[in-house]
Amino acid sequence: MTETQHGLAQDIENLRRRAMTEMEVLSDAAAASDWEKEYLGGKGAVTALLRGLGGLPAEERPAAGRATQALRNELIESFAPIRGRLDAQALQQRLGSDAVDVTLPGRVPTIGGAHPISSMIDELVEIFALLGFQAVFGPEVETGRYNFDLLNIPADHPARDVWDTIIVDSPSEMVLRTHTSPMQARTMERTEPPVRVIVPGRAFRFEAQDASHEWMFTQLEGLAVDKHITLADLKGVLQEMARQLFGPERQVRFRCDFFPFVEPGVDFAVDCAICNGKGCRVCKHTGWLEIGGAGMVHPKVLSGVGYDPEQYTGFAFGLGIERLIMMKYGVDDARAFAGNDLRFLRRFASTGL
Amino acid sequence: MNVPYRWLQDLVPLDLSPEDIARRMTMAGLEAEKIQRIGAEWDKVYVAEVTKVTPHPDADRLVLAEVDAVDHQLTVVTGAPNIAEGQKVALALAGARLVDAYADELKYKTLKPGTIRGVRSEGMVCSEKELGISEEHEGILVLEPEAPKGMPLQEYLGDAVIEFEITPNLVHAFSILGIAREAAAIVSTRVHQPEVADISSIEPSTNLVRVDAPDLCARYSAIVMDGVNVAPSPAWMTRRLTAAGLRPVNNLVDITNYVMLELGQPLHAFDLRNVSGEKIIVRRAYDSEVIETLDHVKRTLGPGDLLITDAEKAIALAGVMGGVNSEVTDDTTSILLESANFDMVSVRQTARRLKLRTDASARFERGLDPELAWQANVRAAQMVMDLCPGATVRTWDDEYPRPVEPWTVSLPLSKIALVLGMEIPKETVLDVLSRLGFAPTIDSHDTLTVQVPTWRSDVTIAEDVIEEVARIVGYEALPATLITGETPAVERDPMFMLERDIRKTLIGAGGYEGRTYVTVSERDIERWSLKPTGGLTYAVTGDNLLRLKNPINAEQPLLRTSLVPALISAVADNLKHQKTVRLFETGHVFIGTGADTLPSEPTLLGLAWAGFREPFDRFNAHPDANDQIDFFDVKGAIEAVLDRTGIAEAVWEAGNHSALHPGRTARVTINDETLGIVGEVRPDLARGLGVSDYRLVIAELDLSTVLPLRQDASSPSIKVDRFLPVEQDFAVIVDKGTTAAAVEDALRGNAGPLLTRIVLFDVFEGEQIGEGKRSLAYRLTFTAPDRAMSDAELGKVRKKIERGLKSQVNGSLRT
Repeated sequence: MTETQHGLAQDIENLRRRAMTEMEVLSDAAAASDWEKEYLGGKGAVTALLRGLGGLPAEERPAAGRATQALRNELIESFAPIRGRLDAQALQQRLGSDAVDVTLPGRVPTIGGAHPISSMIDELVEIFALLGFQAVFGPEVETGRYNFDLLNIPADHPARDVWDTIIVDSPSEMVLRTHTSPMQARTMERTEPPVRVIVPGRAFRFEAQDASHEWMFTQLEGLAVDKHITLADLKGVLQEMARQLFGPERQVRFRCDFFPFVEPGVDFAVDCAICNGKGCRVCKHTGWLEIGGAGMVHPKVLSGVGYDPEQYTGFAFGLGIERLIMMKYGVDDARAFAGNDLRFLRRFASTGL
Repeated sequence: MNVPYRWLQDLVPLDLSPEDIARRMTMAGLEAEKIQRIGAEWDKVYVAEVTKVTPHPDADRLVLAEVDAVDHQLTVVTGAPNIAEGQKVALALAGARLVDAYADELKYKTLKPGTIRGVRSEGMVCSEKELGISEEHEGILVLEPEAPKGMPLQEYLGDAVIEFEITPNLVHAFSILGIAREAAAIVSTRVHQPEVADISSIEPSTNLVRVDAPDLCARYSAIVMDGVNVAPSPAWMTRRLTAAGLRPVNNLVDITNYVMLELGQPLHAFDLRNVSGEKIIVRRAYDSEVIETLDHVKRTLGPGDLLITDAEKAIALAGVMGGVNSEVTDDTTSILLESANFDMVSVRQTARRLKLRTDASARFERGLDPELAWQANVRAAQMVMDLCPGATVRTWDDEYPRPVEPWTVSLPLSKIALVLGMEIPKETVLDVLSRLGFAPTIDSHDTLTVQVPTWRSDVTIAEDVIEEVARIVGYEALPATLITGETPAVERDPMFMLERDIRKTLIGAGGYEGRTYVTVSERDIERWSLKPTGGLTYAVTGDNLLRLKNPINAEQPLLRTSLVPALISAVADNLKHQKTVRLFETGHVFIGTGADTLPSEPTLLGLAWAGFREPFDRFNAHPDANDQIDFFDVKGAIEAVLDRTGIAEAVWEAGNHSALHPGRTARVTINDETLGIVGEVRPDLARGLGVSDYRLVIAELDLSTVLPLRQDASSPSIKVDRFLPVEQDFAVIVDKGTTAAAVEDALRGNAGPLLTRIVLFDVFEGEQIGEGKRSLAYRLTFTAPDRAMSDAELGKVRKKIERGLKSQVNGSLRT
C-alpha cells in the first residue's frame, strides 16, 4: 500500500464514519435531504472524492475507484431505509396537518344564468325541430295589414277589440304587434307549401298590469300548411309538445273557441301535471291548464297570401311562453319576467330549466 | 253576458245543473267564465205572509208584524215603511246569515233574536240588500202574492247566474234565447219561443216610417201603442234584470231591456207626444248637428252618424242611445216602440268616436239579423199589453228596404274528414245541423247543402259548417295524429344561434340575462341616443325616433334605440339588495326609416355591470372594497363574446360618449366599422341613476353588424398540435402614451406565423424603468405544426420582434 493509497483509505473510512454517524441521527425528511445532498449530491463529499481520483497515478485508480464506489454503495444502501422511513413519517405529518373540514363549501365558479323565457324558447325550438318546424323571427313593429288585415281581422270589426293595441304614431297604420301571428302571412308570402314554422317572439297589448297580465309578453306561434293537414294533426303536434315539456302522461284537451284567422277554432289545454288532472290550486280545481288558441288556418288567410284554399289546408296555434313557465315552475306573478330581479333570475339558473 | 239560469230554463227545458250546462257549453265554444249563486247564503229564510200589523207600543216608527211561514209563526219588530197585512215577505229566522245593510263594504252577520224597545223580536223581514239581491234598503222585499207560504226562499228565488264570454262571432248567442238555442242543440231538445203579439189584424200606417239612408238601416219597424201607464215593473222582472246586470227603471224601459236580453235585439220606446208629426225619419246627421242623449250629454255629429228624427228634430242616435227630448216619463200614455236593424260598421264607428259603448251598440256592431227586428217588436208589444192592462196597439209600420237574402253553404261531405281528420257519419252531420236550426240536405253525389238560418250570419263557408258539426259532436272525440307527408328540412336562424351562443358565453362569465321593456323616456333618448352628442350604437334625431300614441307608461312613450338605459335602472334596483350585478340582454331596437315603411330593428347586445368582483373570498363575507368591477371586466366579457363568435380582427380604440367617463371608454371596430362600445358611466351621472358606491360599466354590441362577420367554427380544419408550444416573455418598455394595442400590434406583426397566443400579464410603472415610461409584459406562445422549435429559430424571432418594437413603438426590452 502506498502512502497515497493509505491516505485515501483513511479518507474513505473517515468519510464513512462521519456519514454513518450523521445518518443514524437523522430526524426528519428535510435533514435527510440535506444529508443526501452533502454526501451523495452532485457537489457532495463522495462525488468530490470520486472526482479526486483523477489525480491519482493510473495504476492506483481502479482500486481507489472500487473503494470509493463501495463507500457510495454502502451509504446509498444504508440511507435508503432511513430515507423511506423519514419520507413516510413526513407524509403522515403532511396528511395530518393538511386535513380540512370537507363540509366547508367549495370554490364555486361565478356562473350566471339565462332568462327563463330564453330557456323555454330554446326548449320549444328543440322540440319543434324534431317535428320538422323551423324557427323564424319577425319585426316587433308591424303594419295593420300584417297584424290584422291579412289575418281576417278587418278594420271596424268588433274582432279587433279582442286585441287592445298599442299604436305607433305614424301616418300609416303601425302597431306594436299584438301577437306573433303576422309571421303567418310573412312566412307564407315568401315560401311555397309545405310550410312548418314556429315563431317565438315578443308581443304587446294595451293592458293594465297585474299578477296575471303583462303588456309585453312572449308568444310562440306555430303554422303548418300542406295538402292533407287536419285538426287531428294539430292535436297530435300539441300533444307531443305537451308530453316533451310536461311529461309522457299528458293529455291535450280541445274546446271550441273563436279567433278570426282560424276556422274551426280551438282553445287548448293540458291536463294539470301537478295533480294529474284531479284538480288542485294551480289548475283552479279544473284539472286543466289553458295554454293557447289554435285552429285550422282560415281560407281567407290562405287566399290572402296567394295559397289555394281548395288545395291546401293548414293549422296554426299560439301559446304564451310566460304562461308555460308559470305553469311549469309555479311562478305566480307575470310582472317578474321583466322585473330583472336577480333573486328571481337565480332561481331559474339553478333549476336547470 | 249574464244569464240567470231560471230565465234560461223558461226558454229551454234543462235538467242539468248550471255547472254541467256551463261546462258543456264552454266545450262547444260558449265560454262560461263564472257562475254566481244567488241565495246561496239563504239558510233559514222563508216565504212568509204578514197576517197582522200593529203599532209598536213604545216607538212611533216601528210596528209589530205577525208573520206566518207555516212551520214558523212569530212576531217581528220592523221599521219598514212599506210593510202591510197580506203581503208575502222574506222572513229570516235566528241564525240566518244576512248582509249587514249598514256596513260600508259587503259583510255578513248572523241574525240573533233581540228585544227592541221592550218587545221581543224572534226574526226579521228582509230588504233586498239584506238578502244580497240589490242595494235596495228603503223597505222590505215584497214577494208576489202567489209565493208559496213556508217555502225556503232559496227554493223560491235562488238562482245561478252564468256569465258567458260572447266572442265577436257569437252574435247569435248574445241573448237568452240564443244561449237557449245552443243549449237545446247540445242536449238535443227544443226551445220554447216567447209569446208575441199578433197584430196582423191592425191596420199598418205606411207613412209612419221613412228610411232615407237604407245603406245604414236595413229595416225599421215601429209599433204605436196607446193606453200605457208608467209604473215600476213587477218583482219577477226587476229581479231578472238585476241578475242579468241591468238596473230597473220603469215598466216600459224595462220591457225594452228585457226583450233585448231575451232576444238580442235592442229596442227603444219614444214618448209619442214628443215624436213630432208622429213621423219617424231615419237619416244621416248633418255636419255638426247636435243631439242631447239620454245621459244628458250634448253630442256633435257628422254625416257618418245615423239619426232617428221626427218631423222636426233628432230624437235618437241610431243604435247607440235615445235622445233626452223623447224619453218615456212618468206621465207617458202613448209610445212608439222602435225595433230596427242598423249597419254594424256605422254604429261601431259612432260609438267609438263618441266613446259611448252601450248595450245596444255592442249588439248592433256584431251584425244583427234583420228578421229579428220584427219578432222583437211584437214581443215587446205583447209584454206592454201584459204589464199595462188597457194598453192597445193603434198602428204600426215596418220599412224593410234591404231584406235579408237567404243563403246556403255547400260542400262535399268528404271535406269534413279532410279538415278534421275524423270521419263523422252522415246521420250525425244531418242531426247536429238540424238541432242548430240549419236545414241540411245531402244529395246523391254526397254534397252537403245547408240552408243557414238568418240569425247565423257567421256561417258563410264550408269551414264554418264543419266547425258547427265538430263542436257539437265534441272536440274531445278528435284523435291525435301526426302530420303525414314529407318533413321539411329545418334550418337554424343565424341570429337566433348568435344570440344563443353569446348567452352561453356571458353566462359562463357570470352574467345574468335580463329582459327589459321596449319603451324608454325622452330623457333616456336625450342622454344616450340623441344626435349630435351621439349614440352608443345608434344615434337618432326626432325624425327616426318612434313614438307610441298610447304608451302604457306615459313617461316612456318612445321605442328604445339602446338597451342600456333600461339595464342601468335594473342594475340600480338590484344593488339595493345585491353586492354584484351583471346583467345583459339581447333584443331589438327601433330606428325609423320613413313614414310609410316599418322601422329597422337591429338586434343589440347590452350589458350593465356594477359591484364587487366575484367570487369573494369564500370564507370572508366582506368583499375587498378595492376589488370592484370596472371597465376591464366588461371589456373582457365583450372580448370573450367576440372570441367565441369567431371575430378575430376586432380593434379597440379610445372612444367617447357624453354620458361616459372620457378616460374609460372604448370602441371596438372591425375594418373601420363600429361593432360596439364599452365604458364606465360618468360618476356624477351614475349617482343620478342610482349607482353611487360602485363603478357602473356598460357595453353595447351591434349584433346585426357582428352576424355577417361571424366565422363558422367548423370552417377551418382544426388539428390538435403534436409538438409542445414554446412560451417567450417580452417586457416592453414604452412611453406612457403608447397604447397597449399599439404594442400588441407590433408584437403580432413581427412574431411570424407560428404565434398562436398573446397574453398581457403585467403592467408596471416605476423608477427602475424611468420617468414617463411603462412596462408591458407579454407572454407569446409559438407552436409549429411539424417540429419542435429550436433555440436558434426562437432567437431569430426574438431579434425580429425587438427590432420591430424599436422601430414601430419606440420600445425596448426590459432585461
